[in-house]
Amino acid sequence: MTDPNAPRVFRLRATFIERDRLAMLSHLEVAHALERTVRRAGLPFAVSQGFSPHMKIAFGAALPVGVGSTCEIFDLQLREYVAADKALAALQQASVPDLMVQDCSYIENNAPAASVAFPFSTYEVRFDAPVSAVVVPETITVVRKRKEKTLVVSEFLTEPFTFDGDRATFTLEAKPTGSLRPDVLLQHCDCAADIVSITRIAQTA
Amino acid sequence: MVPFESIWTQVAPLVARAERPSRYINREWGCVYKPDADFRFCMIYPDTYELGQANQALRILVNAVNAQPGMAAERGFLPAPEMCDALRAAGLPMFSIESCAPLAAFDAIGITLPHELAATNVLEAIDLAGLPLRALDRAEDDPLVLGGGPCAYNPEPYAPFFDAINIGEGEQSLPEGLAVIRDMRQQGATRRDIWRALARLDGWYVPALYRWRTAEEAQAAGSWIEPAEEGVPTTIVKRLFDGFATSSGWEPCIVPFAEAVHDRLNVEILRGCARGCRFCQAGMMYRPVRERSADNVVDAVVRGLAETGYDEVSLTSLSTTDHSQIADILERLNRHYEGTGVRISIPSQRLDSFGARMADLVAGQKKGGLTFAPEAGTQRLRDVINKNVTEDDLFGAVDAAFAAGWRRCKLYFMVGVPTETDEDVKGIARLVQQVYDHAKAIVPKEQKGSIQISASVALFVPKAHTPFQWCGQIAPEEALRRVNLLRHSVKYRAVSVSWHDPKTSFVEAVMSRSGREAAALVEGAWRRGARFDAWSECFREDAWRAAADEQGIDVEAVAQTGYPTDYVLPWEHISCGADRRWLAREHDLALREETTPDCTFGRCSGCGVCMKLGTDNQLAGERHD
Repeated sequence: MTDPNAPRVFRLRATFIERDRLAMLSHLEVAHALERTVRRAGLPFAVSQGFSPHMKIAFGAALPVGVGSTCEIFDLQLREYVAADKALAALQQASVPDLMVQDCSYIENNAPAASVAFPFSTYEVRFDAPVSAVVVPETITVVRKRKEKTLVVSEFLTEPFTFDGDRATFTLEAKPTGSLRPDVLLQHCDCAADIVSITRIAQTA
Repeated sequence: MVPFESIWTQVAPLVARAERPSRYINREWGCVYKPDADFRFCMIYPDTYELGQANQALRILVNAVNAQPGMAAERGFLPAPEMCDALRAAGLPMFSIESCAPLAAFDAIGITLPHELAATNVLEAIDLAGLPLRALDRAEDDPLVLGGGPCAYNPEPYAPFFDAINIGEGEQSLPEGLAVIRDMRQQGATRRDIWRALARLDGWYVPALYRWRTAEEAQAAGSWIEPAEEGVPTTIVKRLFDGFATSSGWEPCIVPFAEAVHDRLNVEILRGCARGCRFCQAGMMYRPVRERSADNVVDAVVRGLAETGYDEVSLTSLSTTDHSQIADILERLNRHYEGTGVRISIPSQRLDSFGARMADLVAGQKKGGLTFAPEAGTQRLRDVINKNVTEDDLFGAVDAAFAAGWRRCKLYFMVGVPTETDEDVKGIARLVQQVYDHAKAIVPKEQKGSIQISASVALFVPKAHTPFQWCGQIAPEEALRRVNLLRHSVKYRAVSVSWHDPKTSFVEAVMSRSGREAAALVEGAWRRGARFDAWSECFREDAWRAAADEQGIDVEAVAQTGYPTDYVLPWEHISCGADRRWLAREHDLALREETTPDCTFGRCSGCGVCMKLGTDNQLAGERHD
């Protein structure tokens, strides 16, 4: 049950790009930078109550260090309604070019969080030469929290590689039990060319 | 000449594999780019990004140079040890942040000297830039390598590595020096001619233009340096930024991506401290006291938070709660930021109930630990060091703090202060236990278990330009004995004593007390692999010891030898404005256990700074005890 006396909040969903050198930022660094962007933008963000008040902002699924994106997401709770185009303009004014907010729209207060709403991520990898095939391993063993874990690639790779010149795209599904990182998958693939960049180009439900 | 162009494409693969790429990638909010500038300066902090990015000198000086038409200033940080090695292995030089350009492509580079353990990093930076370590070995078109900062007040251990060293505050003198370099280079002047011109500017020391005397010669002549040519000054007086008080407290700053130390808005609300603690170098170096007004400070905070997006501001200075309008400032900021989640912090508080009240004004509900610095355990020794606080002041502060809700309190002390006896050391234990008793009497019964009192103990290091500059340091074994005496004297279990084994203290002593002969020691240590001496996991004691043996320098003697006050010290050609006779008198008063009052609360104590620099304390209002 929601508290009928709770102050009304407005849930703004923003998408942003993370490109070029700023693809090297960690998820935490991006989160800090965006909080500061919101403050600079002067938006009437909601603040949590209690011992250590903080901005009510939530981030989408983490992007590995070194992977860029054209479609990252954060959800921000506002105390007052600000027209989405005005909020977008204010955020853009407060953003650095390579970590730039691209779009803003309001979502329902009970809409699922950005971090779980879009389990499918499509990545584009650019190689230093044209590529028409990569050899994908059946399993990949990763180390997490000092424990080895073997991932079956086909459980995650929901859309196989498609090729276009020096570019390829593929889609990975994030599972509640874990996920396969796109850079880790590519490290384990056999390929004739070297990777220039990896970019998340879509997050879908 | 190395071309001024980005080497990012070569550096990028190394950055991608580096421990924290965000140290090297630039593109932060607030960076300034001046692609059309015809003169380029790079300001370097001789440690990694996360330590250097918050540095005040870097922020101030980059802004000051960028404010000059035609001049561009960039930042540079020493890469982390593994990255230094990776760059060398790849044949790549140290680079600036904004343009990712090789340091050697700049017209001048500046390196701040923030503390005594950065010397080998200075050499690491110069070498990684691809420049000869010593000024005399540099080519005509190499950048001028300039130094400055707190450790420039004893420049000699660094002297051969710098073309010129700025003494004092650089807001005005750095742009002046750079203008000389730019104009003379445009006219085709030689490096030596540029040195000569810099040496004639107020506040600039050009070591290569002086011969270093022997100890005997120095004592007879009253100075260790002898001009090697006509027209260079025999004393270099520090520069003062006299416009500080009226200048805006909002200084544009860069908002880092990487998690840096002091990652918040810093507003410098006052400069200088005249309390006159006799061990304190900062208290001597930054005189006179200059306060920015409450209006200036409040405007600076509001504007700074809006422009940076930070949610925390620190009101910085050597003694923030001494500001004559501090209560007004904190009350106004509290009103302005109520309910916004913005935190206001003050780096240290005055040791009395007023200090605790001010801390309470900004703490809100979240009360972590509170820190006070009585420095010595007995009134006698506090009088020696001129720490003008009494036990009643301390207990008043503690009572106020625990009544306001604090449960943790940390107290800073020194051991090895001149005249210290075992009674003084035991006095620390007694005082800390009394503090606990006070806390216990105030805290509700059910919360008594949460009281934590800790004493943090540091070893006294004699610093140049202080009344204790003639005093020796106690031997490491003696320091350990005194700390153990303190530990055994503490009977309460709720009181903890922390002490860091000062393995590096002999390096600090050598850097703060030596003459030019120590430069060869620094170079020898660096050649043996010493760097990042301030990182305990990197400190190479063996390298320093071997280099000292090679140079025939007895580092223990350098640290521990005391001198009479008529002994001429290796930094006496550098003046922070304080008269040597006053320093000697303060030294003698210390031995007589007599105190000297703070001139911002009462009458002039005659240190000589105002007279020498033609200035005065500039207070925003009247200070009250």
